[in-house]
Amino acid sequence: MPDVIKTADSERLRDGLLMSKGALRMQSVGALAGRSILIAIASSSLIAILFIFYFIIRDALPFFQIEGIREFLTSTRWYPSREEAEFGALAIFFGSALVTLGAVVVAVPMGVLAALCLSDILPFSIRQVVKPVIEMLAAIPSVVYGFFALVVFAPLMQERGGSMLAAGAWIIFAPLAVLATAVLSDLLSSRLDGKARLVSQIVSVALVGGLFLAGLLRMHGFLVGLTIVSGTNALNVSIILGIMALPTIVSVSEDALNAVGRDLREGSYALGATRAETLLRVVVPAARSGIMAAVILGVMRAIGETMVVWMASGNAARIPGPWFNFLEPIRTLTATIAGDMGEADHVTGSARYHVLFVMALCLLMFAFISNLASEIILRRARKRGSV
Amino acid sequence: MLDGSFSTVGVIAIVLMFISLVILLGPIFARGFGAFVFKGTVEYRKLMLDKFGRGDRERIIAEVAGAAKTREPVYELMEQFRVELKEKDYDYRSRYGQPFKELEELVEDLFGPAPGSSMPVLVRGQYGQTRWDRANVKLGNILFIEEYDYSDSSKMGELVLVPRADLFAGTSLEPLFRLLESDIEKMMRPRTTVYWRFLFDGSYDSHFFGGIWPELLGTFYLAIGAMLFAVPLGVITAIYLAEYAGDSRFVSLLRTCISSLAGVPSIVFGLFGLAFFINAIHVSPSKSVLAGSFTLALLVLPTVIRASEEAIKAVPRSYKEGAMSLGAGKWRTVVTVILPAALPGILTSIIISLGRAAGETAPIIFTAAVSVGKPLALWETMSQPTPALPWNIYNLATEHEAVDEIRHVQYGMVVTLIVLVLLLNITAIVLRARISKKLRG
Repeated sequence: MPDVIKTADSERLRDGLLMSKGALRMQSVGALAGRSILIAIASSSLIAILFIFYFIIRDALPFFQIEGIREFLTSTRWYPSREEAEFGALAIFFGSALVTLGAVVVAVPMGVLAALCLSDILPFSIRQVVKPVIEMLAAIPSVVYGFFALVVFAPLMQERGGSMLAAGAWIIFAPLAVLATAVLSDLLSSRLDGKARLVSQIVSVALVGGLFLAGLLRMHGFLVGLTIVSGTNALNVSIILGIMALPTIVSVSEDALNAVGRDLREGSYALGATRAETLLRVVVPAARSGIMAAVILGVMRAIGETMVVWMASGNAARIPGPWFNFLEPIRTLTATIAGDMGEADHVTGSARYHVLFVMALCLLMFAFISNLASEIILRRARKRGSV
Repeated sequence: MLDGSFSTVGVIAIVLMFISLVILLGPIFARGFGAFVFKGTVEYRKLMLDKFGRGDRERIIAEVAGAAKTREPVYELMEQFRVELKEKDYDYRSRYGQPFKELEELVEDLFGPAPGSSMPVLVRGQYGQTRWDRANVKLGNILFIEEYDYSDSSKMGELVLVPRADLFAGTSLEPLFRLLESDIEKMMRPRTTVYWRFLFDGSYDSHFFGGIWPELLGTFYLAIGAMLFAVPLGVITAIYLAEYAGDSRFVSLLRTCISSLAGVPSIVFGLFGLAFFINAIHVSPSKSVLAGSFTLALLVLPTVIRASEEAIKAVPRSYKEGAMSLGAGKWRTVVTVILPAALPGILTSIIISLGRAAGETAPIIFTAAVSVGKPLALWETMSQPTPALPWNIYNLATEHEAVDEIRHVQYGMVVTLIVLVLLLNITAIVLRARISKKLRG
């Protein structure tokens, strides 16, 4: 071929098929420019995070210069608007921790059980129905939860507090008691055979079940007698926050449970394990880190939530009577920021303004660290899973 | 046994989730419905005619006159008692003076200003109760006095209703109470009313009357404004992450940043918006829709990025390979083949983020929201703050001066917001189901 075509022709041919040097350079410059623009835009979230940290820290620092940090972390006296302002935020930190703890108690057992149920127990068709329900729970705006907590839930709690708590306790503890009875009786009689096993099972079920029943009845009596002074309290907020954190916990831990392969489950079944044994001994331990990450994300959701706690926590900046008294009003970091900024807004530059940024910084650091933790846990789990 | 009870507990957890959704939405929908469909009294129709020019003028005037006629005996009895009060001695006056004044106020609350008296300045004072349920509450206040019985010191005070008629027993005012009780329907003329314009009316006298249009419009502005900034940024980032980025350290840093951004508490976004957009770079002199939109955009950015990336990655490899083998460059492939194929998925992510932006409250508290305001024109969004549904729900439920009087407005707002958000989410769910069917088939 090269022999037949003359040089001029081949030049022309090459010009037709390939680009000239200039065009080639243009294209590579274009590609480079395009790529850099792409990377610049893609870095927007990196820039956003840096800016958020910078601007929160910038407005938080003056507080340390004006007031120092000791009082902020050790005192429970929060009087920012007084002449002699006091900025003891300990009670507020405590309030945030308390409602988060409450939310975890509500959401984690329920969420993990629901996730187990979705991944291993329920048939596919029911799963298709449950998923949208979870999505709806996640989609409802937080102010709606807050409105519900304040306008519907709080008065209900105030009027029928005792009986409502008792009903709630039955709903939660009765199934758990049944489960515990089953597990215990199984354990107690696992060594025996034949008739002795049956007898032992019946006896242990009666014994343990009776014990639990007595405990439940006792609790019922105690709860019914309880009067709740104010419906806007830590318990109210904890329950609502728990429900809000539920979708996160369910979906993340379900993902983790699904990531545990079929082979592990089938191997367990092949060894003769029952479904419950497989779930408890094989699937849950294998998905442990994913469930851990789910819990961390749920905690983040609860601690960062503003509207519900602002509306329905009672906003009292003090540590409750005995510290675990969930029936007293509390105040959280987020609610303090939201509530006090309105008044502090006009006096930009005062300690009162900057202290809110210090609180925001604490929230931000907490969120950042727990996010990193959950990411590291998940990444490690993924790596281990792929090996 | 163990197996069975284990499954049962799991199922109970799921059922509890269902129940909490029903308990949450049930009362809100039931009462929120009352903002749109309720029994309106003659006062309502008068208000609508005066303020909005709605309804058949002559019929309403005739109806108002009819109602006024049935109310006449009430005012006559009161006038009679007023005269009586003047004539009687000091003891009598000091005994009945205060209770009578209270009663006068209550009647004015129910029926609006008495004929012949001067018009109050506030719109809420110019009309009686426009809603039959509220009218009944007010009537209850007239007929009974709420007292708390503290005789049993071990318990909280118990509510006791004392008939107000007892207070005026033996006076010429006594028949008034029976009259009110028996003829209230004629005096107020309740009729089932459908007020769909609740969505599109402005509010009168800080939400005592009228609708929620400024809030609804503000929510639209904020949510759509946020998407205007978040979608281009988010989708381009997603394209980069899905198609160009390898597995470099920079990319993993980027991913960490995106998930950190998703974890930042919403109130911190609000403070950042205040400190950065308003105090540092002055996008507007004070709160504005623009600043709020920027803040919300940052908030939804991670959602947009993640969902769009997933949508792009879900496009089958063969599409891309086909385009490449036909000689298309990388960028060309992305723009002409991959993006169109991923479009429904990206749309889903946009819809979900839109719902998220519409419902967020904390970020707009310091950057965009005010409690009372007019509906804004488009160009005003650059510099003016706006009322918005989520913020006003908070505001009306906690800070309004007459929280109990306007419960129906609060519920109406909540229902509007929920329906808005859920409709968006259901659209997204349906869209996603169709996409996955298409990709599978």
